[in-house]
Amino acid sequence: DAKMIKGLEIFNETAACAACHILKAAGSEGNIGPNLDTVEGLNYDSVMDIVTHGLGVMPAFGEDEILSKDEIDIVSFYVANSVGK
Amino acid sequence: MNKNKTKLNLNRRNFLTGTATLAGIAATASVVPITIANANHSEGKKGLPDFISWKDRDALIVHSDKGIETHRSAIGESLVTPNRNIYIRNNMPTMTDAQIGDRKKWKVSIEGVKNPQTFTLAQLQKLGHETMATILQCSGNGRGFFEHKPRGSQWKTGAAACVLWTGVPMKTVVDACGGISGGAVYMTSEGVDHVPTGLDPKKAMIARSVPKKVFKDAMLAWEMNGVPLPNAHGGPLRMVTPGYFGINNVKHLGKVAFTVEQSSVKYMKKSYRISPIGKKGSQYPSCWEMPVKSWITRPTDETGTVKAGKVQIVGVAMGGTKKVRSVKVSVDGGSSWKKAKFIGPNLGKFAWRQFVLETTLSAGSYNIASLASNGADKQPELRMENRRGYAHNGWKDHSVNITVV
Repeated sequence: DAKMIKGLEIFNETAACAACHILKAAGSEGNIGPNLDTVEGLNYDSVMDIVTHGLGVMPAFGEDEILSKDEIDIVSFYVANSVGK
Repeated sequence: MNKNKTKLNLNRRNFLTGTATLAGIAATASVVPITIANANHSEGKKGLPDFISWKDRDALIVHSDKGIETHRSAIGESLVTPNRNIYIRNNMPTMTDAQIGDRKKWKVSIEGVKNPQTFTLAQLQKLGHETMATILQCSGNGRGFFEHKPRGSQWKTGAAACVLWTGVPMKTVVDACGGISGGAVYMTSEGVDHVPTGLDPKKAMIARSVPKKVFKDAMLAWEMNGVPLPNAHGGPLRMVTPGYFGINNVKHLGKVAFTVEQSSVKYMKKSYRISPIGKKGSQYPSCWEMPVKSWITRPTDETGTVKAGKVQIVGVAMGGTKKVRSVKVSVDGGSSWKKAKFIGPNLGKFAWRQFVLETTLSAGSYNIASLASNGADKQPELRMENRRGYAHNGWKDHSVNITVV
């Protein structure tokens, strides 16, 4: 649906998640952070938490206001519903 | 939707190959342009990433392709953990053979000394030769026990290993450089693994400062458990900081500097700080010295049913930066304790000791715990709550429930 399309756009372009992460559904091949298709227990809440606060080299997209709250909601929804697909 | 997806995928192709697009994205996302590193991440046939396809899948728990834990019962009951069973925690992609090139020509620069110098691996190997055992343990080992679910891999006990390192003592290297410059407070090690990625060095670079005194125990290691240091573990050269958490044992070592200030990179300033839940900042202690800790490796819920009668309760105990002095075992959830026996060779204060308690158990349910002491400190019952789930050494969470039939 529209939220998934917008999520893919944020993943690949706005936030450039794709630069650092593999996610087969998005066709991304980045190899800085973990392959999202392999991360255990990944869900909407855990993605939103990490996207908001960052982890290691990963930017804190929320705290540092790189993405809006809406964008974080959308990309977290997108990733949670795309892993392993 | 198809139309949209096609468009995005076309853009992605540009994004993966074209720097103009990358720069554009970077501007939007406030990150610097990225060069995609070599793909060493696809799933191996055994369900392990290619770069560690040589590891024993059955010994490992895969949290992600960059966070891989050793099963509680697979850390090595013969004291040293076999390389194929050792955990993986990578902040950056492992360097490939192509990126490393000729291992003998690998360079490390030594700064903050009277005569700063750059050594190749071949030169270091002429300078000195020593072997020592240390415990490699991720700062977040035990994070999986925290109830507030800190971000990061949910390690239980298996982000730890006892390793035999061979290399040159850092003290020998310092002596060869005429000694440490006056005023230095820290020994700062830098990895070079970030360079090919093109990320913002302040954010991506692995640099760790530890108190200067650590140099007396430290080693520049090129061999791990009898084989050339595998790339996945930081080959061809790694800093080893005995008694200090894993992150300080910088992989793919490119520089060691004696510095007045701690490194200003994110991994030093912001990450790996032990702060209260809900708080963060560089004013909190860094993940440096490991605390005294122990855990049982057999029997556990992983090792199958226990038959009533004589039982050997086996585990490992470490003293942190001091020698481990004693370990007690409880089979009743900590109500009563019996002293366990240390077995096997003593590989020095930075290695762990194996322990065993022989006891007789009748049918029933038991909570088995171990409690180590290094003379100065002993394991607390409860974890020290902290935001990121670091440095857990509470004995209660590390206990195991078994059923004897």
